[in-house]
Amino acid sequence: MKKVLALALALCLVFALAAVASADWAPNGPVSVIVSYKAGSGTDNTARILAKYAEKYVGQTLVIENVEGGSGSIGWSQLASADPDGQTIGFINLPNFSSSIVNEMGTYTIDDFAAICNHVTETSIVIVRADDDRFPDLQALVDAAKKEEWSIKASTNGPQASNHIGAQAFANSAEFTYIDIPQGGTADQLLSLRGAEADFAVVKLADIAGQEAEYRILAVFNDERLPELPDVPTLKELGYYDGWLGSSRCIAAPAGVSEDVIAFYEAAFKAAMEDPEYIAAAEQAGMATDFKDAAATAELIAQQQTFAESLAEGFWYEEY
Amino acid sequence: MLDTLSLMGAGFLNALTPINLLMMAGGVAMGIIIGCMPGLSAAMGVALMLPMTFTMKPETGLIVLGAIYCGAIFGGSISAILIHTPGTPASAATAIEGYQMTLRGQAGKALFTACYSSFWGGLLSCISLYFFSPLLAKLTLKFMSAEYFWLSIFGLTIIAGVSSKSVIKGLMSGALGLLISTIGLDPISGVKRFMPSSYFAEGINTTCALIGLFSMSQVFILAEKKIKARAQATKFTDKMSLSREERRIIRPTIFRSWIIGNLIGILPGAGASIACFLGYNTSRQFSKHKEQFGKGSIEGVAGSEAANNAVTGGSLIPTLTLGIPGESVTAVLMGGLVIQGLTPGPELFGKYAPMTYTFFAGFVLVQFFMLGIGLLGCRGFAQISRLSDAILIPCVTVLCFVGSYAIHKNIMDIVVMLTFGVLGYLMRKFDLNTAAVVLALILGPIGEKGLRNALRTSRGDVKVLFSSVVCWVLIALCVVGILSPIFMNRLEKKAAQEAAETTGEDLEKLTEEDSV
Repeated sequence: MKKVLALALALCLVFALAAVASADWAPNGPVSVIVSYKAGSGTDNTARILAKYAEKYVGQTLVIENVEGGSGSIGWSQLASADPDGQTIGFINLPNFSSSIVNEMGTYTIDDFAAICNHVTETSIVIVRADDDRFPDLQALVDAAKKEEWSIKASTNGPQASNHIGAQAFANSAEFTYIDIPQGGTADQLLSLRGAEADFAVVKLADIAGQEAEYRILAVFNDERLPELPDVPTLKELGYYDGWLGSSRCIAAPAGVSEDVIAFYEAAFKAAMEDPEYIAAAEQAGMATDFKDAAATAELIAQQQTFAESLAEGFWYEEY
Repeated sequence: MLDTLSLMGAGFLNALTPINLLMMAGGVAMGIIIGCMPGLSAAMGVALMLPMTFTMKPETGLIVLGAIYCGAIFGGSISAILIHTPGTPASAATAIEGYQMTLRGQAGKALFTACYSSFWGGLLSCISLYFFSPLLAKLTLKFMSAEYFWLSIFGLTIIAGVSSKSVIKGLMSGALGLLISTIGLDPISGVKRFMPSSYFAEGINTTCALIGLFSMSQVFILAEKKIKARAQATKFTDKMSLSREERRIIRPTIFRSWIIGNLIGILPGAGASIACFLGYNTSRQFSKHKEQFGKGSIEGVAGSEAANNAVTGGSLIPTLTLGIPGESVTAVLMGGLVIQGLTPGPELFGKYAPMTYTFFAGFVLVQFFMLGIGLLGCRGFAQISRLSDAILIPCVTVLCFVGSYAIHKNIMDIVVMLTFGVLGYLMRKFDLNTAAVVLALILGPIGEKGLRNALRTSRGDVKVLFSSVVCWVLIALCVVGILSPIFMNRLEKKAAQEAAETTGEDLEKLTEEDSV
């Protein structure tokens, strides 16, 4: 009799615990946050600021783990293969993440990740040198590029990196050809443009902060004009690439985590991003915070993936 | 101008934080210890300590590395003076007069002279660092793909000849480095090259490679030799000081050696080991007390030590502005810079100017720490210089493993480090140049990107490579670069020979110990 009672009690307890867990999941220890770039990098800086203010809402310490290398793919491989128990989450950088799948840098696909939310978004822009009189507006640039094949050059921040993808998307939609000059990073990309080696470049708005006088912004990659650049047309209104393009830092968990885990982090990070202290810190760091819920983030990741794959089949400049 | 002045001032304020001061003291002490142990070179010390700087702020990290660099170059003189074995090749000339002084019971005086001259040599070399680097960095704004191609070729021609006995072997080492630098994603089209896994996507990790090539290979070399006790360091009783009159005598010597060392430092390719002999010889030529040379001349010690420390500030100039490290120590330092996400060139004097000027200020302050720690700690360091290889070998091995693992916490990094350790050991057995491999690893991708991008912009027309004045200047420098080893070797040999004539010592034997 005693045994039966004990068993019944134990069963009750198990069910009760299970019920508690499913109704209200919370991490039961420090949470690992995988950042696929080194400490001190752009993603690392923004991630640490968010982690600092999110701890209050998550209720546990968020430990940033920098797993760098392989152009980000090593960190994403690790995130994809982590236990889907909600104790490990990580940052996904679009569109570099999409490119890494297209180029088979790891064995993961987008199905190996479950989106939680979006954190930071930066919008791409088309720029030329401020003293370059040949291109007063975007149309002049497109006309020049169409007049003679391969006559226009664009510096990029690396083969199939975010700004190369931007230039390629612009060229595809305007149907012109250009030569890309890949540089090691955005700083070198801008130097190459300023030194007149390149004619135009696609960069993110934040990249030219503090040196706006050096460049003329011809267009932005967005559905509507940016509030900070009311006079700059979008590519969409000019009849070219119709949509947003830039870079995004999303938060994701390994696929297989329960709905509750997603819901928990989604709510926690939303609250953190609305925290006045966070907002003040983000403003000081010049971060473009852009919360998107899990569904919208998953959609963004899928859309960027389709887009990256469509570009891979497009034309790249063949070397001599 | 005012901007620069305020940046310089702010740099000093930033450098004066407790943590930075602590790091300077620690770095200098570490450097002196590494320097005074025969068998451990400056490059190896900086390579070993490099991983520890990753978590620091960029300026703090660079200050630590700079402090180790200066400390090690000075530290070599301690064992040179006391046990007649230069701790680093840079102090080979110091051993001549310094040991004579020790035999005459003036070890304290010799050590003070070495420390005092090193301090002034290093301090004065900061002047050129402050004034030439921003100018040179501004010049690089004009550098486009074609210029970067020639710049890397220039760097490669120079390193090929440096510190290797034969130009052909130097070039072979450089070519091997270039070959290794092609591993990873192609910088232009993103094609995977020689990549067994995505670990290699960003190429061979330069830090792991140089820990292996400089430090691990040295462990193998040391382990191979029979472990024997070093000569007992002479206990010295005389006071560590110089009279006012003696200081006046070595003043012009220090000044001349500063100019020589600084110029040698700025020239990529010539290092501290050449500078010390040149400084020593010049001090003898100009000396009013030539009869003292060979019997323990303070001018000889001052001439050598001021020159080799004057190299430090000078050699940072091409490293920070052009991204061309002129010798192995600065190659390692550049590794530290790159790991912090900083690229040599105009950015360091624009966007990152506060960081750069903090580092400069730290570099100035490091000289004072070197003077203080050097004078106070000489007796202790003298004992360390006798440390048995039986203790040294396991210590360095542990540091090699921990250091390479700490970078990414990836076990593959240790594998790479060990591979390069074995490679470095074999290379040194064949008299090939390990420094050339590291430099080619750094310069290879710059050159490849430059060449291919230049040809893309011109759509395959080679004329683009000869289209600007800067290109032609760099091509001329390349020619000088190829010829310079022949000239430099002769210069060093002549200087060493002249030095030997005065003392009748076999200097080849002195410098043989450590050829990194």
